[in-house]
Amino acid sequence: MKLECNLPVIRLLVQKDWQLFQKQLAAYVLAAFVALTLLGLAKPWSFYLGSLLLIVILVAVACFAISTSLLVERKEQTLAFVMSLPVSPLDFTLAKLAGNLLTFGVPFVVILGGTLAVILGTPLPNGLVVLAVLVFGHVLLAYSASLAVAMHVESEGWNTFVMIASMVLINPFLMAIGQIEEIAGPTQGDVIVWSSAALMILGAQVLLSVVAIVFVAWRHGRRAAFY
Amino acid sequence: MSDQLFLSAGDPRPMYQQIIDQITTRILAGDWSPSQALPSIRELAASSGVSVITVKRAYEELERAGLIQTRQGKGSVVTERHDLARTALEGGRGEPSDAVALHGERSGLDGTRLGGRFQAFLDGLEAPRKPAAKNKGMNKSMSKRGSKT
Amino acid sequence: MTAAFSVHGLCKRYDAFALQDITLELPEGSIMGLVGVNGAGKTTLLRLLTGLAAADAGSVVVHGLRLPEQQVEAKRSIGFASEDMRLYRKMSLDWHMRFIAQIYPTWDADYAAALLRRFDLRSSQAVGEYSHGQRVKALLLLSLARRPRLLLLDEPTTGLDPVARVEVLEALAEVLRDERRSVLFSSHNTHDIEQLADSIAFLHGGRLVAHADKERFFDQWRRLLGLGPVGLKLEGFPEIASIRAAGSQVEIKVRSWQADLPARLSKEGVEVQRIDPMTLEDIFVTSVRAGGQL
Repeated sequence: MKLECNLPVIRLLVQKDWQLFQKQLAAYVLAAFVALTLLGLAKPWSFYLGSLLLIVILVAVACFAISTSLLVERKEQTLAFVMSLPVSPLDFTLAKLAGNLLTFGVPFVVILGGTLAVILGTPLPNGLVVLAVLVFGHVLLAYSASLAVAMHVESEGWNTFVMIASMVLINPFLMAIGQIEEIAGPTQGDVIVWSSAALMILGAQVLLSVVAIVFVAWRHGRRAAFY
Repeated sequence: MSDQLFLSAGDPRPMYQQIIDQITTRILAGDWSPSQALPSIRELAASSGVSVITVKRAYEELERAGLIQTRQGKGSVVTERHDLARTALEGGRGEPSDAVALHGERSGLDGTRLGGRFQAFLDGLEAPRKPAAKNKGMNKSMSKRGSKT
Repeated sequence: MTAAFSVHGLCKRYDAFALQDITLELPEGSIMGLVGVNGAGKTTLLRLLTGLAAADAGSVVVHGLRLPEQQVEAKRSIGFASEDMRLYRKMSLDWHMRFIAQIYPTWDADYAAALLRRFDLRSSQAVGEYSHGQRVKALLLLSLARRPRLLLLDEPTTGLDPVARVEVLEALAEVLRDERRSVLFSSHNTHDIEQLADSIAFLHGGRLVAHADKERFFDQWRRLLGLGPVGLKLEGFPEIASIRAAGSQVEIKVRSWQADLPARLSKEGVEVQRIDPMTLEDIFVTSVRAGGQL
């Protein structure tokens, strides 16, 4: 199989996904700023509410991106329409991945940036940065795993299960890193401490995310036909 | 299903005409003997897959031609042979009745064959007709149908 | 004569169904109708012809391009619309037209505007608000207005009201003004195929049972009406596809009519009264009931 891809059409497909979801994504980003404002107030109640809201929004963005671009496309049979266009399975997979990384990636990066800015720019202890980055890392990993499954498995039940399970795992994850003194300790202070434990966890999150996505791209890209 | 008619969209004749011609054919062939009840309009419509109004129209034309008689609430029966003979004879000074002529024309039977058939039919009027074995079978299956419905 | 598509020895197995050994060719500039009951393999064949599915065995060539290997190139000149295909509900037909126009350089905006008027569609409306018939027409518009050399249409007239159906059929017939363009369409509605197709391919149970010029089907099939003895059994008439009797009335349908048949039948006591041609629907139903033999 030739590894040529049809870039103009891929670009159009990505653009199409972006156009389809831009309004909802803007709404999510807006909601995230409300959450960040709450965080920034640096009162115990607003911090609690703000961080909870922020996590809910992150999870919602991730699930929304996957379900609208993959599951709904399958369910509403617009997939057949896309497949009839001059694209190969590889083009289609790349377009889907790129579209998804864009629809998820843009709000993700905006919200991450906003969170870091709030922590650093308000009376909140700057040591929270490490914890916040790890939480974002978890969402990224959960998203990548769900995306990989969604591209691979047609069953809606399995997809929903993986999405919810991986996102809900954020709770035990927070509790677990709370037990690690090198990470939990500095969160109260104003110094950002990148302990080796924190770096290892972050590294694993990023690596596993990349592996999941590359694996799916490879599996689907080498197919000759869609069915 | 012995009272089924074979109607076809490929046949250039309109549906009601196909019904008329097939019922005429079957009365002349002796499938339905004099005074025997014909299937009800609804039954025939259902078994042949046409609308009630189409079968009704065919029955009306058959009655006008003297082949069948319809009594209110009792359904239609094949005309008694005497009646039919009179119709046939009066209808065309000894010529076959309209219905019979029509039948011959539409069914493509040639004149001599039809003449023979009609003659045999008239002959049958004199002597009481011996029910043929196949008619027995017919009647049996008809009555079986009747008891079912 | 070049072929719009040609498939050879095509096999595709699924769990419960298999398309077997299909060899078929569509000459450029003609319309082929694909007939078959649900599950006969029409959709699978169309998927193979668009490169969406890969065959287990055999070859698919569209405009000289092998599928699915060269599907990107081939799909540039194929317009495919199937019954299970949907547009983006929240977007307007205008948005879809712009999207398609960007992908296909052959998009003809004037023709699209003409089709919009003809199909009576409001292009600014979200596609999700369309009725079934409007959705089908919108999908066809998107396929037609880019003037593909090969149109593959899966049930394009199913569920349309009579007026919409005629509009769609007229738009399809127009395709043939250009002698390089061809159409393959499947339909449950044999009248559509009877009206429009040059040749007919008949699928049954995953096999291509027959493929011939439309006129040949009509020349070969006949319905005979006549009188016969009750309990008639006819043996040694392989051309007879169906025989029904009610009393003395006998109806016989033959798949390869020969002028000497009435004479041969009269030896068996059958007196033929009428010989009529058959509609495609009758031919189709009769052969399916006879086990798919044509």
